[in-house]
Amino acid sequence: MTHADPAARSDPASRQSIYAQVALGYEPPADRGEDRIWIPTGGSHRVAGLSDARKASLLSAVLDLKPEPGAGLVLLGLEIDGLDAAERAALRARVAFLPAGGGLLSNLNAWENIVLPLGFHTPERLRGAAGEVDALLKELGADPHGLLAKLPERMSAYEKKLAGYVRILLESPELVLVEDLRGGLDAAGRAGTAGFFPTYQARCPGGTFVQLEASPGV
Amino acid sequence: MIGVYREFEGCMRLMGHVLRRLRVLALPPVTEALARQIYFTGASATAGMVLRGAFLGTLIIAYVIDVLEANSALAVRILLWVVLREIGPLMAAVLVIQRSGTAIATELALMQISGEVASLRRMRIDPRDYLVVPRVVGVALSTAALTFYVQVIAVGGGMLLSALTIDASLGQLADDFFVLASPVDFVYSMIKSLLFGVAIAVICCYHGLHPPGVSINAVPKAAINAVTQSTLLVMLLNVVFAYLVFGQAFFGLVTAKV
Repeated sequence: MTHADPAARSDPASRQSIYAQVALGYEPPADRGEDRIWIPTGGSHRVAGLSDARKASLLSAVLDLKPEPGAGLVLLGLEIDGLDAAERAALRARVAFLPAGGGLLSNLNAWENIVLPLGFHTPERLRGAAGEVDALLKELGADPHGLLAKLPERMSAYEKKLAGYVRILLESPELVLVEDLRGGLDAAGRAGTAGFFPTYQARCPGGTFVQLEASPGV
Repeated sequence: MIGVYREFEGCMRLMGHVLRRLRVLALPPVTEALARQIYFTGASATAGMVLRGAFLGTLIIAYVIDVLEANSALAVRILLWVVLREIGPLMAAVLVIQRSGTAIATELALMQISGEVASLRRMRIDPRDYLVVPRVVGVALSTAALTFYVQVIAVGGGMLLSALTIDASLGQLADDFFVLASPVDFVYSMIKSLLFGVAIAVICCYHGLHPPGVSINAVPKAAINAVTQSTLLVMLLNVVFAYLVFGQAFFGLVTAKV
């Protein structure tokens, strides 16, 4: 972090101890006049009132680990500026993002979508994945047999979000960013999302769950 | 001109990535994508090849024997030259461009426009690993397999149908075939068709991943660019191959000086 955060003015050791408590700290470029985002580690948080441009800038900084020139980023206690490529890749593996539409691939069914990242990053875990996915879906109140064979075109908006979320949970990330959690959902779907954070907390105690919302904060 | 250079450079980079990352084929999702590609390009395209191939072989033998009043040895020799060396790989390549090339370019362009490619990146999956590597390998293997089908069906079916329809003995045609056929012809056509497959898949993947816009109109444009350029490159490769291996191109109009 380079600008207005309190840690920026302190010595490296105290900066490090302050950053250690930060899950996501984003300082937009100074000329934007935007508020910084400073989220402590652990629990569920909501960042509301984000414009599309600001959300895109934040997501690009966090997911590509490339903040805009003049912007600063602290992620899971680490200042991005000081990291080499391998450290960045390792840090990125600890962060997951759930897009508003679930981020599913349209030519894969729900099961194939859910285990796709696992097949790439930890293929040895695929063998036990079926039981894990079933258990997670049941915990989130869904019927695994009804959902897993469906293609995205046959899923409801909630089911797409659910499949995307289970995909994230399988990787047990330390920081989860969720875009517009309740957006586009009916009443049943919105009620279903209430179980998202408790399931994450049970699976990843100490993890941070951040909702990014376009609407003003409540 | 700059655009052409960029596309060429982009295709070369994509090709380099495929060669460097062949090991991802061992990952389960990529293996599955490879199997799907081989099934779609190589297996489900075979039905249409049988009749076309057999009629092509018959036409060549009948034309040579009946119209040119040649003997069966010359008919078989022409069949070998034309079908094994040239028409087999070209026919397979054209079929692959028609069916799979358009499908690949369209599918990838749609994935790019709808954000699915970005979604892969957000899952820390390199889209080239998951989308391009299995397609290039699958299309290359399938093109070689289709070429083999065309050759077998056109030569075998052609000799069989010729024996039934014109005054040519199947035994004589078969004897001439085994005397004249050379393994070089098969190896040459297999290598050529593998290269055709690689070229088609790389070009179609490149245009699919780089549609000329972000609206749905960019999808058919990507497919047209992919088909046009891959057809052109296949023809060019065919000429270069003929010149390098047999010292002749454009049906003998260009001849290598030894």
